[in-house]
Amino acid sequence: MAPTGDTVSLDAARTALSGACDDVREATAADAVDGVPASLVARPASTAEVGEVLRAAAGHELAVVPRGRGTKSTWGRAPERADLVVDLSRMSAVLDHAAGDLVVETQAGALLADVQAVVGTAGQRLALDEPVPGSSIGGTLATNSSGPGRLAVGTARDLLIGVTVVRADGVVARAGGRVVKNVAGYDLGKLVIGSFGTLAVVTEAVFRLHPVAPARQWVTVGVDSAGRAQELAQRVVHSQLVPAAVEVDWPGDGDGGAGSLGVLLEGTPAGVETRTAALTGLLGGGTAAGTAPAGWGRYPWDDDGVTGRATALKATVALSGVAGALDAGRRAATDAGTTLSWRGSAGAGVLYGALPATAGPDAVAAVLGPLRAACAAAGGALVVLDAAPEVEAAVDTWGPVPAIDLMRRVKERFDPERRLAPGRFVGGI
Amino acid sequence: MSVTHGTTTTAGPVPGDTPPEATSATGDAHRHSAGIEAVGRVARAVLPVTGVLSDPTQLRTYECDGLAHYRVTPALVVLPETTEQLAAVVRACAAHGVPFVARGSGTGLSGGALPRADGVLVVTSRMRTIREVRRADQRAVVEPGVINLAVTRAVTGEGYYYAPDPSSQQICSIGGNLAENSGGAHCLKYGFTSNHVLGAELVTPQGDVVALGGLAPDSPGYDLLGTVVGSEGTLGIATTAVVRLVRLPEEVRTLLVGFRSTDDAGAATSAIIGAGIVPAAIEMMDALAIEAAEAAVHCDYPAGAGAVLVIELDGAAVEVEHEYAQVERFCTEHGAFELRPATDAAERALIWKGRKSAFAAVGRISPDYIVQDGVIPRTALPEVLRAIAELSSSSGVRVANVFHAGDGNLHPLVLFDDAQPGAGKAAEQVSGAILDLCINHGGSITGEHGVGVDKAAYMPRMFSDDDLDTMQLVRCAFDPDGISNPGKLFPTPRLCGEVPGKRKHAHPLVEAGLADAF
Amino acid sequence: MVHSTGETRQQLPPEEPPGTGAQAHGPVPVGTPAVRPAFDTEHPPSAALIGDCVHCGFCLPTCPTYTLWGEEMDSPRGRIDLMKAGLEGAPLSDTMVQHFDACLGCMACVTACPSGVQYDELIEATRVQVERHHQRPAGQRALRAAIFALFPYKRRLRAMRGPLRAYQASGLSGMLRRSKVLDRLAPTLAAMEALAPPLERREKLPERVPAVGQRRAVVGMLTGCVQGEFFPAVNAATARVLAAEGCDVLIPRRQGCCGALSVHNGRQEEAERFARATVDAFERAGVQTVVVNAAGCGSSMKEYADLLADDPAYAERAARFAASVRDVSELLAELGTVAPRHPVDMTVAYHDACHLAHAQGVRAQPRALLREIPGLQLREIADPEICCGSAGIWNVLNPEPARELGDRKARTIADTGAELLVTANPGCLMQVASSLERQGTRIGLAHTVEVLDASIRGIPVRGLGIQR
Repeated sequence: MAPTGDTVSLDAARTALSGACDDVREATAADAVDGVPASLVARPASTAEVGEVLRAAAGHELAVVPRGRGTKSTWGRAPERADLVVDLSRMSAVLDHAAGDLVVETQAGALLADVQAVVGTAGQRLALDEPVPGSSIGGTLATNSSGPGRLAVGTARDLLIGVTVVRADGVVARAGGRVVKNVAGYDLGKLVIGSFGTLAVVTEAVFRLHPVAPARQWVTVGVDSAGRAQELAQRVVHSQLVPAAVEVDWPGDGDGGAGSLGVLLEGTPAGVETRTAALTGLLGGGTAAGTAPAGWGRYPWDDDGVTGRATALKATVALSGVAGALDAGRRAATDAGTTLSWRGSAGAGVLYGALPATAGPDAVAAVLGPLRAACAAAGGALVVLDAAPEVEAAVDTWGPVPAIDLMRRVKERFDPERRLAPGRFVGGI
Repeated sequence: MSVTHGTTTTAGPVPGDTPPEATSATGDAHRHSAGIEAVGRVARAVLPVTGVLSDPTQLRTYECDGLAHYRVTPALVVLPETTEQLAAVVRACAAHGVPFVARGSGTGLSGGALPRADGVLVVTSRMRTIREVRRADQRAVVEPGVINLAVTRAVTGEGYYYAPDPSSQQICSIGGNLAENSGGAHCLKYGFTSNHVLGAELVTPQGDVVALGGLAPDSPGYDLLGTVVGSEGTLGIATTAVVRLVRLPEEVRTLLVGFRSTDDAGAATSAIIGAGIVPAAIEMMDALAIEAAEAAVHCDYPAGAGAVLVIELDGAAVEVEHEYAQVERFCTEHGAFELRPATDAAERALIWKGRKSAFAAVGRISPDYIVQDGVIPRTALPEVLRAIAELSSSSGVRVANVFHAGDGNLHPLVLFDDAQPGAGKAAEQVSGAILDLCINHGGSITGEHGVGVDKAAYMPRMFSDDDLDTMQLVRCAFDPDGISNPGKLFPTPRLCGEVPGKRKHAHPLVEAGLADAF
Repeated sequence: MVHSTGETRQQLPPEEPPGTGAQAHGPVPVGTPAVRPAFDTEHPPSAALIGDCVHCGFCLPTCPTYTLWGEEMDSPRGRIDLMKAGLEGAPLSDTMVQHFDACLGCMACVTACPSGVQYDELIEATRVQVERHHQRPAGQRALRAAIFALFPYKRRLRAMRGPLRAYQASGLSGMLRRSKVLDRLAPTLAAMEALAPPLERREKLPERVPAVGQRRAVVGMLTGCVQGEFFPAVNAATARVLAAEGCDVLIPRRQGCCGALSVHNGRQEEAERFARATVDAFERAGVQTVVVNAAGCGSSMKEYADLLADDPAYAERAARFAASVRDVSELLAELGTVAPRHPVDMTVAYHDACHLAHAQGVRAQPRALLREIPGLQLREIADPEICCGSAGIWNVLNPEPARELGDRKARTIADTGAELLVTANPGCLMQVASSLERQGTRIGLAHTVEVLDASIRGIPVRGLGIQR
């Protein structure tokens, strides 16, 4: 088909889409994906309809960007084109909660919060944090977002046991199943997690659930250096106290040294009390509370007071490299005349950094260099999850990706015409 | 005695996806043998002299893995010691279109490492160095031939262990675990191999060496590692794995509980899980399985039990204490007649020994048997067990049940005596019917043993053509020539290069009558 | 679906190619020249026992040769597969024999096997067939002939002692070892030389050692060949400990070799001859129990019933005899100890001799006896199931891998940090001694009974055994 904007073809595409789905409309400015205007929006109501929509889109060579609730639509690179936004908000049903089996099956457009409400009635939870409020299941999977709880229960890849996807050509495929233990066939679920919608559209997902712990306690202790944060985090992760989360919080606007380490304990009331006492001993102090400290489980760029579009960083490191990354980032930010706020899992080695909107492309680039080197030295990587367009344009947001050739080959097989969120992912995928 | 696993087609060869060059039926024997010779030359040039086997006597000992009823003698066996050596052999295979099959310790129960008569068997048993133990990072970097239990042994002194614990953990290799996404009794709480492998060095079917994942989580890009783990050697060969080390728990309580019936034991299991307890393991054995284990390892399980549960709780001592009291109560409430907590490591080991040797132990009570591996939602357990009992009584085929009750992973052992005419066939039918039960209850045809060659024909019962085609896209991305462990996992030979969803005609191999489509 | 393991080999995709591998097995086609099958019909390895193997692989990690080389054909299940090939008509090729020969006969696989495969019986039957049908190269034949002309004969061993004694006293031995001349000249001689313990002054044992205090048992004692000639102190200690624990100990003068080395190497007739003579000697002594302090001897004597099953004159007597055999630690544990123990303030690592632990299942008793000694701290050696590489004469025939296994064992022994290594077999003591010396680990070595003896007598343990 002719490029987007060709009215005649767009009309034809719209007609075809309308045959596939009863909710197709012209896109508005609000539908733009990371600044890229969309032409059409389809809101299919079922997996089958998504299949029809994608088949129609294939027939008209439309570039398709899937959308859950759009809370993270600026993450990743902006797509090259967004002819059609496939909006999954109509597919918001929690299909089945098999409480006895600790399994939930849900449509991808369902709000994570709604899923939690349903499974919560049985004292269960889907152990995925919701760092960005209002997230859908599909969006959470596509961006592989995670929070403090990842230390103990892992991330989406550890919880997703079955998935239904619709390929670029409209074919519906399933992998996994409804049982936790299952090794039949390739685990396509893992492939689509964190793929930013570039391989297929996830329409349904099955997760394993965890029981909600009867008691929780947070112990927070101040740290005056990154080294101290790492040292305390090491004590906790090497202890036998079974921490549910070990978070470091190091705001950039502080006095340069003040941060804190927060540890979450979950269990029985009596058990948590005993462990809390042991933990404060281990940490050499700290404040225990029954509620989470401010900012817990939120990304630092979403904090109150952050204005404009901050540059959002995700740094991953081996645990011995936590301090190195924290320091390298802070030092580079200071050198570049800006500030870097850190927050993340010092227990899992996943740290989120926020550079203020005032940090322009040069400042961001000046931070990325040394920080990326520090992360690489610690066996990890640094990616820019989100940034203003001029920043994204100026820097290497994804950084080096070792198996990129293999990834391109996977993309070519799933989406040979490069129509699913083109350009949004690593290496221009 | 013979032991078989799972269920295969009753007659005719199991379908395999033949490499492209085999499509013309004649004249390929030459090409194959020329290809093998060429690979052999490369292998001899890069490997130590003892690392290349071509003597038929020696090759024969590699003709099967832990599933001994499928046997194929490989054309060549190589035992590389380094990634470079292994990659050189794979590159030679790629250059000459020679299929290769990776093998670790050869303990798999689905024939995943069954060799190809026209191919090379790449054995990783000499790549067995634990390269690094990084306690601070809670990681170890190991070669694929390292034995599962060796990882734990290397780190227990530092207060750590490697969590996935298949019954064969004393001999199965990390590389094999990675290929099969091995589980084990403790995966109920701690997850499978895929949850514990954070990185791998992969030799692709082209012979390229690529790094997937690493020491840190969430590597940028597609989670290819997550796809490779459990792909049964069809996407390449892992030559290094970065594994997660788990802190040894402060407290471990192992409890052996005797019940009158599997129904009671199942009800106790449901009560425990329903109360929000996640034990490290809940294993069930029925009377017949207990009898076998007693015969083999004298594990001294409660006499007269219709079923036993092996329940293990671990974690912070104070929490375990609390859970333990609850578990005891639930068991008693559901008819337990004997609760026997392990009082020391030796007792704990004996309790587990009975469970972990159960498969092979069944040989003590039956000349032949089939080890089945299927999964059902745990809540369907009583119903499915009753159905299995009915199948058994109506067919006269004895079935011993050993399974991971916590996650519904059944391992029925279907007993028979092959010397009795028709007994094998009857056992097969029961074994197959059990898989059907699993599928009908929304479960899986394999929870941990893998599809391999044994259950490839069953895949279409669980997955649609479109599902399998989509999985095949991954295969084609990694291995367009189909030389990496061909004939496993997928039921139907498919050639890469076909546009997804646009296949209109029967596959040429099918048309030529060289393969069956399912 | 196919069930039987062997015959119905499923040919998975596609047909076997010509070229390598295709001719590995299967029936010999009609019309081709007959190949002589590996085994004759006189007690070949039992197809039924072979059928017990389900190929699970649990034997692999305990097999010394698999541990060394990581190859299937040098593993128990691989060898069983080769035996099956032999039964199916494959010839007894050099390669096949090489892999049977490489088996140490440590029987660790028998312990490890959950299916109860009697590998010990299989390999012994196979070895008899190999001896009958396989022509070894001249050099190997000569070496084996020399070994079997020497070791089972005390007088010949004794004759060796003079030259060895002079040789050691001259200081030549250390020099030669350092120069590695012997290694270059002949690895086999080098191995034997390295293993020879420094010779002690001979203690001559009387024919009867009376019980101390109340008599609780009358036992016969095997003095053994290597034990008697190379470790006479162990025999003396055994007699003293048994007497101290209330045993009248009878030591028949006319006893000879028990036949262990022969039976473990497939020399059936020779083994039977030794067995008959041993049965005769102890029957004449009129004892109810025969005590052995060498693991290899004990295990083969416990198997006399099988060895002499086909001999109508001996079958029943051999069975009775076999049932009366006890390892010294086994007997002491059965009797329960009465002699007071003096403290031995040492850390001790106990090494399981394969023919005690795997072949006789005696693991707990020696440990329990050692733990009874006040002040003694018992340490466990990592990977206890793995053979030290001695294995009868295996280390003489296979010096290089034996050295590797010995070195591994020496490392795990050193890791225990123990001051004294205790084991119950002369072969293990010699093997481990030379490995420890090569590695530079200073550690005392002793037989279990030597430690018990020292404790009972209240004499210092220092200087026990063969510390170099």
